[in-house]
Amino acid sequence: MRKKNLILEGLWNDNTVLSAFMVISPVIICGDTLRNALALIYAFSAITFVSVLISSFVPQRLPYAAKIMIYAVISSIVFIPAKLAAQEFFPGVVERIGIYFPLLAVNSLIVFQTEARFFRMKKSRMMISLISYILGFDAVMLITAFIRELFAYGTINSRMVDMDTLISGLGLPFGGFIFLGLFSGIFRKLRSATERNKDKEDA
Amino acid sequence: MFIVNDLIALLAANLILNQALGTSTLFIAANNRRNLTWTAVAITLFTTVGSFAAFFVAAFLPESVRDLTLLIYTLIISIIYALILSAMFFFSRNLFDRIKKYVHISAFNCAVMGTLFTITDRARADASFMHLGDFVLSGLEAGIGFVLTSLILTAAYRKLNSAKVPSSFRGFPAMLIYLGIISMAVYALK
Repeated sequence: MRKKNLILEGLWNDNTVLSAFMVISPVIICGDTLRNALALIYAFSAITFVSVLISSFVPQRLPYAAKIMIYAVISSIVFIPAKLAAQEFFPGVVERIGIYFPLLAVNSLIVFQTEARFFRMKKSRMMISLISYILGFDAVMLITAFIRELFAYGTINSRMVDMDTLISGLGLPFGGFIFLGLFSGIFRKLRSATERNKDKEDA
Repeated sequence: MFIVNDLIALLAANLILNQALGTSTLFIAANNRRNLTWTAVAITLFTTVGSFAAFFVAAFLPESVRDLTLLIYTLIISIIYALILSAMFFFSRNLFDRIKKYVHISAFNCAVMGTLFTITDRARADASFMHLGDFVLSGLEAGIGFVLTSLILTAAYRKLNSAKVPSSFRGFPAMLIYLGIISMAVYALK
């Protein structure tokens, strides 16, 4: 795979949330305000990047079950300094996010995709692909939080804006499910449209 | 009538519909009945036995080292995971080969870890809940809640994946919207 494709992989072709349907719960529950989203983006990016990087040194000849346990333990250890730093940089947000903060450490990108995807690549390519998947999550989280906060609470990053109609349900879990389902469908439509255009240009 | 009340209570406290915990695992499980059965059994086992161990963590872990909770839970789930796989391996190699993949996907996910954290948080907020029996029962309830939501999703799985649904929304996007509507109904029940 070319480097450009590798960069686009996690962002567009196989987006972490919208295509691969990984790490859905934090987006649905906590992705209702930009403040929550920024804290989750920091936590997810830091924990996933460091954990996968350290996990890549685990001997591949170990049995699959043993490797999965080691990856989960590594990310649980990485979570501790990440949480302490989050309490410093995002005071109050860690408490508001609650259990979703530690749950980021056992996300399927770290525990399962490492084996299925990242560790089959060379280190340099793995890093590019990993960053692309992390950015894929970050982008979806930001867009989701921006739209949901605007329409559910009439604010952008806690600042009031002039909104005539508010849909308070968007800030609730069911609103998160429905919004993410619609977002995912529209994303698929856009992706297939760009692929069709590309095919036409190639022809 | 009691059964209806219990069902409503289970739905109202459901971790998937209220907290979106284990949604990705649910999508994998709802793929077919065999997947669903084995994943549901494995998740219920992990949440129940995990909750048993979580009681001791909640009761005896000092406040000053609470940041270690996730690491301890991961170690607990790892031990249960290794024990289940070993027991299956020695009991029947055939069974081990058939269902090990369900144990793999059921061990480390938001449904199991989220259950342990939710139960512990509830016990810390309300001391009357700090009993071993309550922990185990809550773990079992979470597992049954997963089964219940899986059944609700399986009932509509074929239609949500049928050609009648526009291709962009077919499958996972339609399932998310469907779960959102069920979640809205459950929200109204509370």
